[in-house]
Amino acid sequence: MTQIALTDLTKVFDGNVTALDALDLTIDAGEFFALLGPSGCGKTTLLRTIAGLEQATSGSIHLGDRDVTRVPAGSRDVAMVFQDYALFPHMTVLDNIGYPLKIKGQSKEARGDQSLRVGEQLGLAHLMERRPAALSGGQQQRVALARAVACHPSLFLFDEPLSNLDARLRLEARGFLKRLQRELGVTTVFVTHDQAEALALADRIAVMESGRIRQLGTPREVFRRPANTFVANFIGSTPMNLIDGTVAGGVVEVAGGRLPVPDELAGVLPSDMKVIVGMRPEYVRLSAQPAEGSIAGEVAILEHLGATTLVTVDCAGEAVSATVPEDAEPEPGDRVHLAPQPGRMLLYRHDDGELVEPRTGDSA
Amino acid sequence: MRQSRHEAESDMTASIDGERSAAASRTAWRMAGRIGFYTLTCLIAAFFAIPLLWLISAPFDASPTYAVDFPEFTLANFATILANPYALPSLLNSVILAIGTAAFVVIGAALAAYALSRVRIPGRDALLYLLLLLSSVVTGTAAMVPLFLLVSEIGSAIHPMLGIDSHFAVMLVMSSGLLPAAIFMLKDFVDGIPPSYEESARVFGASPFRVLKDIVVPLITPGLATITVWTVVNVWGNFLVPFILLRDADRQPAAVLMRTLYTEAGQPNLALLATFSLLYSLPVVLMYLFVSKRYGFRFHGGIKS
Repeated sequence: MTQIALTDLTKVFDGNVTALDALDLTIDAGEFFALLGPSGCGKTTLLRTIAGLEQATSGSIHLGDRDVTRVPAGSRDVAMVFQDYALFPHMTVLDNIGYPLKIKGQSKEARGDQSLRVGEQLGLAHLMERRPAALSGGQQQRVALARAVACHPSLFLFDEPLSNLDARLRLEARGFLKRLQRELGVTTVFVTHDQAEALALADRIAVMESGRIRQLGTPREVFRRPANTFVANFIGSTPMNLIDGTVAGGVVEVAGGRLPVPDELAGVLPSDMKVIVGMRPEYVRLSAQPAEGSIAGEVAILEHLGATTLVTVDCAGEAVSATVPEDAEPEPGDRVHLAPQPGRMLLYRHDDGELVEPRTGDSA
Repeated sequence: MRQSRHEAESDMTASIDGERSAAASRTAWRMAGRIGFYTLTCLIAAFFAIPLLWLISAPFDASPTYAVDFPEFTLANFATILANPYALPSLLNSVILAIGTAAFVVIGAALAAYALSRVRIPGRDALLYLLLLLSSVVTGTAAMVPLFLLVSEIGSAIHPMLGIDSHFAVMLVMSSGLLPAAIFMLKDFVDGIPPSYEESARVFGASPFRVLKDIVVPLITPGLATITVWTVVNVWGNFLVPFILLRDADRQPAAVLMRTLYTEAGQPNLALLATFSLLYSLPVVLMYLFVSKRYGFRFHGGIKS
């Protein structure tokens, strides 16, 4: 069990592309940690820098109490699973799993036993003599995991471990991965661009954008209270409603209606402050009757999501969406009223897109 | 009315007949075209096959001429050539030169191709093309005088191994001529290996040499086989370089010995030339068969192997 501490970590490519911008991050021992972000945000570079495949331009990396910033890749006691699994095509599954042990100088028998044991543990016992090309995607992924597990590292690094699997298999592999990490208790960092994957697997998530961490928190925190409009946009399978509004006393004027200012911000916001109102469609109530603190509009589009339906409502020119149970669908063209669930409406500052927090809410 | 119908019918028959004869003539033309095509290909094949037939029949002929004949069967030519004190040693010399040069080229090209494929240096491709361009000069006719001087004056002064009459010097010269093209071919194979294979091995603690040995070399074996065959064939057939750099008849390869097979009258000794040529070509044919069976010749990276 190893803690990872990154201090002021910076990586600049070719002198001008900043992939990591003075990152500070501590990942606890035994934690399942997700680096989440759109492509090009630096998440894979961060993972590769921890692995030692990239040299940090400045700053430091500590694994446990070791400073590994200048330690070469092979001496950091980490195991990495690559997006394409990087199984060696000329070796059998058994030899692939045993390869890290071979490098460590273990005898053929010892590493054969060890590989077989790990292979059995991961349900690969009947495939040990096959070549990677003769395996399905899911099996290849498990071989790659087995290879990482077999060398007993103090840290696992997974680069998009599930993105090469098809959708159904991905769900299965997700559960498998989480169970495996629980059982082994090894600190694990994984990179993904799929917010659902990060929410499902991770103990904590760092949402990254252009080499910086935009929010760090548990999946629940990141989902419920995105720290800025970037995270708000990125997290959630249906995008959050982000609508321009203006504070007017105890209410926010938005999309032709008036919504009450959230309780924790009551009285601290200056009037005429420009804000962006954030509401997740899941947290918006839709009703046919007008109610206090709601905005009115006309139903424009219905999208079926299975058990729920995403309703897009045209409210004075703004598209606002809400999810409703499948049996409570309105008809397109219906006049409806939308109100956020209590405590689930968020306000972001219009100028920098940061969440207005109670303590900092007095300044705009 | 009746009249016109009759006319129409006869028109129709005429047009059907016309179509039929047109189809028949088309078929005939196609047949003729095919026959012509096959005759032509047979002629071309014969053009190339006749020298080979001569090569196979002449050694067994008591008095071969330039014509392809059914031989007056004899094995005396083989006895005569084996009695030549330089014949078999020259074949051995050819083998030594071919294997030695192949070793230099394969090892050198593997290391260089790996480095050039993985290391990002500015102007890498330009360097590669420049090398390729200059390589034809190294073993080309124009460079023979400077090459001779280089080996006989500078090489000999440093060590006899680098001087005239040294197999080692010949291997070095031929390797330098073949290496650029070999690197060029092999780089294609190395480029085809995803970097993640090597990175994965590196994270597990493999040294760069270990990565090369365990991951890269096994994956480019077909490429290594290709350049081995190509090098051996090139060295085996090279006359000029060993002719100039090896003065001692005991050290000359078969390609150079060939020029001494003349009769006292100064005429080419056809019987001995043919016999020796057959012996000379056998090892290369055997190597082709072996490598082709082992690795299978395919198209690799746009280069026919």
